[in-house]
Amino acid sequence: MKFTLSWLSKYISTDGLDSAQLAERLTMLGLEVDVVEQLYAGLDDIVTARVISVKKHPNADRLTLCEVEVGDETVPTVPIVCGAPNVRAGLVTAIARPGSVLPGGHKIKKAKVRGEVSMGMLCSWKELGISEDHAGILELDSSIESGRSLKEVLELDDTMVEIDLTPNRPDCASVLGIAREVAGFTNQKIKPPVKEVPTLDGSGVDFTVTIEEPELCPRYAARKLTNVVIKPSPWWLQRQLLAVGMRPINNIVDITNFIMLEYGQPLHAFDFSTLAGKAIVVRCPRENEKTFTTLDDTERELDPATLMICDAEKPVAVAGVMGGLDSEVTETTTQVLLEAACFNPVSIRRTARTLNLPSEASYRFERGVDPDGVSNAMERAVQLMCELAEAQITANGVDEYPGQKELLQLPLRVQRVNELLGIDLTSEQVADYLRTIEFTVSGTDVLQVIIPSFRIDIEREIDLVEEIARLVGYNEIPTTLPSITMDYPQRDPLRQLRQDVVSVFTAQGFYEVINYSFVGDKHSDMMGLAEGDSRRKVVRLLNPLSEDQAVMRTMLLPGMLENIRRNINFQQSDIRMFEIGKVFKFVAEDAQPEERYQLCAVMSGQRYPSGGSLYFAGDRADIFDMKGAAENLFQSLRLEGTSGSIQFIADSKNQQPYSDPDTFIRIMDGDQQLGILSRISRKTARAFSLKQPVFFLELDLELLPQLPRIAKSFKRLARYPSIKRDIALLVPEVVPAGDVLEALIEQKNKNVVYADIFDVYTGKKMEKGMKSVALSVTYRSEEKTLDDATVDGFHNKLVNTLMSRFKGRYREG
Amino acid sequence: MENSLQQLKAEAEEALCRISDKAGLEAFRVKYLGRKGLLSSTMKQLGSVAKEDRPRLGQLANTIKKGVEDLFADSKEKLESGGGAVAADMDLSLAGRTIGFGKCHPITQVMEEICAVFEGMGFAVAEGPDIETDYYNFEALNIPKHHPARDMHDTFYVSDSILLRTHTSPMQARIMEDRDPPLRYIAPGKVYRCDSDITHTPMFHQVEGFLVDRKVSFADLKGVLTAFTQRMFEGDLPLRFRPSFFPFTEPSAEVDIACVICSGKGCRVCKRTGWLEILGAGLIDPEVMTMVGYDPDEFSGFAFGLGVERIAMLKYGIDDIRLYYENDLRFLEQF
Repeated sequence: MKFTLSWLSKYISTDGLDSAQLAERLTMLGLEVDVVEQLYAGLDDIVTARVISVKKHPNADRLTLCEVEVGDETVPTVPIVCGAPNVRAGLVTAIARPGSVLPGGHKIKKAKVRGEVSMGMLCSWKELGISEDHAGILELDSSIESGRSLKEVLELDDTMVEIDLTPNRPDCASVLGIAREVAGFTNQKIKPPVKEVPTLDGSGVDFTVTIEEPELCPRYAARKLTNVVIKPSPWWLQRQLLAVGMRPINNIVDITNFIMLEYGQPLHAFDFSTLAGKAIVVRCPRENEKTFTTLDDTERELDPATLMICDAEKPVAVAGVMGGLDSEVTETTTQVLLEAACFNPVSIRRTARTLNLPSEASYRFERGVDPDGVSNAMERAVQLMCELAEAQITANGVDEYPGQKELLQLPLRVQRVNELLGIDLTSEQVADYLRTIEFTVSGTDVLQVIIPSFRIDIEREIDLVEEIARLVGYNEIPTTLPSITMDYPQRDPLRQLRQDVVSVFTAQGFYEVINYSFVGDKHSDMMGLAEGDSRRKVVRLLNPLSEDQAVMRTMLLPGMLENIRRNINFQQSDIRMFEIGKVFKFVAEDAQPEERYQLCAVMSGQRYPSGGSLYFAGDRADIFDMKGAAENLFQSLRLEGTSGSIQFIADSKNQQPYSDPDTFIRIMDGDQQLGILSRISRKTARAFSLKQPVFFLELDLELLPQLPRIAKSFKRLARYPSIKRDIALLVPEVVPAGDVLEALIEQKNKNVVYADIFDVYTGKKMEKGMKSVALSVTYRSEEKTLDDATVDGFHNKLVNTLMSRFKGRYREG
Repeated sequence: MENSLQQLKAEAEEALCRISDKAGLEAFRVKYLGRKGLLSSTMKQLGSVAKEDRPRLGQLANTIKKGVEDLFADSKEKLESGGGAVAADMDLSLAGRTIGFGKCHPITQVMEEICAVFEGMGFAVAEGPDIETDYYNFEALNIPKHHPARDMHDTFYVSDSILLRTHTSPMQARIMEDRDPPLRYIAPGKVYRCDSDITHTPMFHQVEGFLVDRKVSFADLKGVLTAFTQRMFEGDLPLRFRPSFFPFTEPSAEVDIACVICSGKGCRVCKRTGWLEILGAGLIDPEVMTMVGYDPDEFSGFAFGLGVERIAMLKYGIDDIRLYYENDLRFLEQF
């Protein structure tokens, strides 16, 4: 809602309040001021000028050479090159002289235009930023002398205020509404533009009004004006509209717009001669009435619930939203039927939505217009039309008011006010506050409050409590802390787990990323998902912002591959990143999907991206870095499998279409897959334009809180020394080294306290088809110091078992 | 005796300084520290000094011997590890060796910080589905189908009755439906609105909180939110509450803090008002209470919601909200 200070001051004195103070007061009353703008601030240097003579420019067909009087004593006239079609001798217009700056930032200089000197520029409305009119230069009253400030002549000096209106305050979608609020805090009464209103009883009227849908139209008033002369509005009216961003059209339309802004009551003017049967019928469309052309020359489809204003035969307007093209007031109109009505907010909102046709009128109707306000707005409009369009009233009007109601009366418990707000007011204080905004109050303790009709938002006691709060001032209400019973809330295990995962991964050099939950459909193809893959069954948005954000993600990895590509494009090619986020699994149409938290981690480029190339130069990340990160997670969280340990299993089956077949590890709890880690397949890498190897981990976090945790339990420190023995075994190349270690551990020799692989070697020196696996085994007894002979015994037994199991032998040398 | 001990010490120290190879070191050891070395032979003379001087001189001789031995050991170590050459090679201006560490996304950091402040005040954390029903997102919060307040929420729909939540407030209705007062909860999470420009992303993060008990007042709401903002923005930041409108609270408020960029003097960020809006709040509307079966005359409560992106922007001076979701490492490593 926009208004100007000059407009506001027609109804209320704002003396003693500058625009900043006014804005502050309004904001603190709940009318949040968004913009305070000094209007036309750039026009200080623009002055009036009279064109004395005009001749053709010798070197340009469309330009003229003018001598222009600028009211400057030192020069009788200045030469101006002008291109406007309406420039002529005797025209009084506006000039920007050298040194002045136009609102668009264009600085005017003395110039030569095609060889002719021009001492400034004659301006159009658009060039001055006053309106969009760019047809020619300004045409001012010929009596105006040259050299006067244009701002002064046009009374442009004003301040525009824009309020970001909340939906509950439609009464303030009007300058009078704002004035009432100002009246409240400045202890004044507003000066309404209309004081007396005639009763419209239908006498002598030659048209009829019928409301067929009283639920949707609680009031419809209409008056007929004759001998109307359609012409441009006077400047004061145009200026008011322009100042709040509305385009002047003609006197009748401008008056309806002006009244809408003044009273908050939308009006509509019909060309009376177009109304068949001299009738207005408020009804829904008949079955055969499928379409309707609104005054913006667009044919619109009607649904049966759309409330229409009709004549005896056909619809002529979409009620409360927009008029019809055929009944519009035009230059030839002489008789006007003026409508001032009130419509059901839900119905208007539905219509404006369905037709996708929000208008200034529908904005007000869907929030609620005061039905009692109709009469004043109508009378004001009639008076202005008589004044500005030479209109005549030959008969009374019609006022159908099926929805007339008594003013609402609400009880208000003063104690309740005090308890809810944490303040301590007396009944009298509460009553006084409400009286400042035109509420009628009686009683004590439980007050009886009569609500003025324009405050349609006040329906309950709590609404009155809010009024008190804002009138007292939120900042005057004390600040206390609630007393509430102590409580120890349970922590959500999954949330806790997610926080732990974040710590483990950031500690390992991974940066956390957050991607949008919606992605493009194309990700499924880029990942190479098969037709029947469940991850193709997506939850789709009905109204996405773009194709790239059309479906809810079913995996995190594609988003992270996009992140990698972006970072590589910006020369950040050493990457460790992870995301913890939800994926969405389609369940059924019209049902909430299943939401699962997943972890996805990726790495690419240098092994230690932030470790610096000084110490780790040349080390490239590989699958073992990813595997290590995953192992660290399980170890750090002390997670174990539901039966036995969590296994990292290299698996040639159960591959993912986007994983590299030679580098694929499943993370298993028994038969349950918790996640996978792998390298991105070359095909998928190409799809994401990734040239360097990318390793990834995908983990279903929802499964982890159920896993048992290895209890923290103290074991006595060993008292006897340990003995370390190495084994270097030659085994066939196909044997996984991990299996050798696994087999050693499976022997369950209780004196083996630790075993590890410390080298795997396949190379030239090796016999063909064989590799060397070097293990180190630590022996210790809980009972005594082991001697060499005993350890040798254990060790030989172990080695022999391994050799026979894997068809291996000692590696020589 | 005493003089000769001190002289021996000085000679030995000087000799050690000149040694530059192993042979010299060995010669030194034999000369000074050997069984027949100078120190041993000097100590043998202890027997011939006056009885009363013996303990003092004995102690002195031992101290000197120990000192020379330590110096010898130091020189030996230095020589064996390559001597002075290493010290010259070791350029201590080089960075330390580390495998590096990563960081949480700034949104996670700020969200956890917000949660921690409220958890410290005894609020429990509850999370709900990102994809909500129209009922919990709107109806249960007193926003019926054709309410103009739906304009404040540009909603992504999945179907007529299923949508991406536009705020985390549905958790308020869900929890109140499920439990009896007293209640103290915060609901952090992702929310979605179809809007995208320099100050809006279609997905963002919110923390909604509410408290319900007997005799909870607007003054209490002010107290809790004042405590929160002071903790969050460190210090006695001026704060103002101004009336606003939300269908699920009444009275409703928006809360501004003095602009952290210009300290309230007025700048581009605060649109020259000196104030920055950081959260919306209010007393829970009696209608919402009634819908979950609470008696609004018996219980009252307040609710508030705040945008995490905005708070992070203010805390860190981030000027484009879209940066959060580009996941550029140059951005992420700054926090």
